[in-house]
Amino acid sequence: MNINIAHLFPDILNLYGENGNIKALKYFLEKEGYKVTITNVTLEDELELLKYDFIYIGSGEPEYLNLAKNKLQEYKNDFLNYIKKEKIMLVTGSALSIFDFLNLYEINEEPDFKVADVSATTSLCNGVIYAFQNTKYLIKSTNHLLFNLETGFGNNNTMLEGFRENNFYVTSLIGPLLARNDNLTKYFVKLLIENLNEEN
Amino acid sequence: MKIIAIITGKILIFLGSLINRGSTLPGKIALKIDKKLLSKLKYPENVIVITGSSGKGSTSKIIANTIKKTGIKVTFNKSGSNLDRGITTTLLKKCSLTGRIKTDYIVLEIDERYTKKAFAYLKPKYVIITNITKDQPPRQHYIDLVYQDILASIPKSTKIITNMDDPYLRKFSKDLPNEIIYYSISENKYSYKNQIFENLNIYRCPYCNTTLKYQYYNFETLGKYHCPSCSFKYEKPKYLGTNLDLTEGLITINNKEYPIGGNMLYHAYNTLAAISTLKELNISETIINQSLKEQEITKEITFNNNTKTYYAISCKAENATTYNSAIFKVINDSSPKDIIIGWKEISRRYKHYDISWLYDIEFELLTKNTNKFYACGIDAKNIAKRLILAGIPEEKIIISDSLNEIKEQINKDEVNKIYGILNFDYMEPFEETFKEEK
Repeated sequence: MNINIAHLFPDILNLYGENGNIKALKYFLEKEGYKVTITNVTLEDELELLKYDFIYIGSGEPEYLNLAKNKLQEYKNDFLNYIKKEKIMLVTGSALSIFDFLNLYEINEEPDFKVADVSATTSLCNGVIYAFQNTKYLIKSTNHLLFNLETGFGNNNTMLEGFRENNFYVTSLIGPLLARNDNLTKYFVKLLIENLNEEN
Repeated sequence: MKIIAIITGKILIFLGSLINRGSTLPGKIALKIDKKLLSKLKYPENVIVITGSSGKGSTSKIIANTIKKTGIKVTFNKSGSNLDRGITTTLLKKCSLTGRIKTDYIVLEIDERYTKKAFAYLKPKYVIITNITKDQPPRQHYIDLVYQDILASIPKSTKIITNMDDPYLRKFSKDLPNEIIYYSISENKYSYKNQIFENLNIYRCPYCNTTLKYQYYNFETLGKYHCPSCSFKYEKPKYLGTNLDLTEGLITINNKEYPIGGNMLYHAYNTLAAISTLKELNISETIINQSLKEQEITKEITFNNNTKTYYAISCKAENATTYNSAIFKVINDSSPKDIIIGWKEISRRYKHYDISWLYDIEFELLTKNTNKFYACGIDAKNIAKRLILAGIPEEKIIISDSLNEIKEQINKDEVNKIYGILNFDYMEPFEETFKEEK
């Protein structure tokens, strides 16, 4: 069976080895016997969200975040529909600043960069999550959280980080989060397989 | 205050020289005594600054050493201390008690994030920008900040010398009125037609954001590009390197052949940047050639032991481009090989532990012609994981704590070529371990 992964704008949003997340997903899915198709979506492409089983978007510089936001805003209802249908999407690092247009969460732009080694726990999987933060954007809202931080910067000066609505996952953690944390990758792999089985 | 700061600095430099220790302490103390010391010194007209994410050390060495060869006195931070304290120490050594720098030329390698402050007092005549690439993300965050720092601080009268092959660096010509002198390396036997690296700085036109098209690539974003939507394109440079030969270590620049002091593409670019500068300064061909022949090769080690040939390439942790250039070197050799990858530590500057840059390196390119991979040093496990996710079969990857352990295994391997893709802090241990008999 085939799993379709979309990587949104990897030519402009690729600051911190972000495609490591896709590599990790692909590796574990292939181990489970699935075929994985990765589509690198560019600014010029039409977006058909429901074609994909997993959508990923990562960190970028402000100018490029704006370009991405201008493009994605046109698809507001499509994204809300995608989320409602419990399809999976992961947003890491500064890409979280793009999706405030969905009106699901608010963001804070910090005056200085928040740089920290992160260790955290999450209800998504067992064990510790190791990650890194290097961002000016944090989530302001403190409902629908993802991580309990041991170290790092949480939403609105708390030690709670991230945002989740159905299978729409948003975090300020950067880079190859999944490549560093097999436990979290396996959570998404399981979820992808469950979604696929339900559809068939 | 200025005089006290200068005298104190000079005494500390003298005391340091007695115990044979150079440090940036004299500069640190002098700046404590007079915070504005650097803006109070009197600089000569000829100030040359070399900055960029990598290559500034080698480039500045060639420039400074060649100018010295003409008999001109040069102030140069050859130790590579390129922030305020190091630069202050260098300048204090060469200034009078009234603060006048006593040499005709100042050649300084300056940290790319420190240019913001340094340009204000140095007012350089020439600034050479070798490159701006991803480097030390916990400190620099992203490269546009480096670009903005240089952009905001460079005086209008400064001439910029930089690389035409990099569309990112062309942003300077878009945003600045300054005179810009370009160099470039033409298509050569190592060039390729389709991009092989991912996660690069720039794929799109700096003017209109359309995806750039390339006639060929020399490496990463370097090559001959044009924008299909607007007039932005590679332009003919003033200094063109041709006939690049990395085996012999030679390049032809404007029809004259020069040694590049190594076997890596970046040696060619650094040499080209330096020669472009020296030509702008009207330094004679004979002296440039003589100086280049005498330069030391420091960033590669190659030696034979028993039947095996060892080749180690020095890279900078947290700078994926330096690792990609090592990988680019390795894949240009199609013979079967073992590869050792490792480092002692990621950063000496801070304690952060960020491994995202490992995923900006194109280890995927190493899947062919490699017998075994040895991951060693502090990040052995992370390196191994990265290699696995690059599609390298797990049975080919060996995680090891020590180079000695690797040596035992390598001696049993049938392959006779061993590449080390190493952080600079692993070069010495590598040489010591593998050169030793047995």
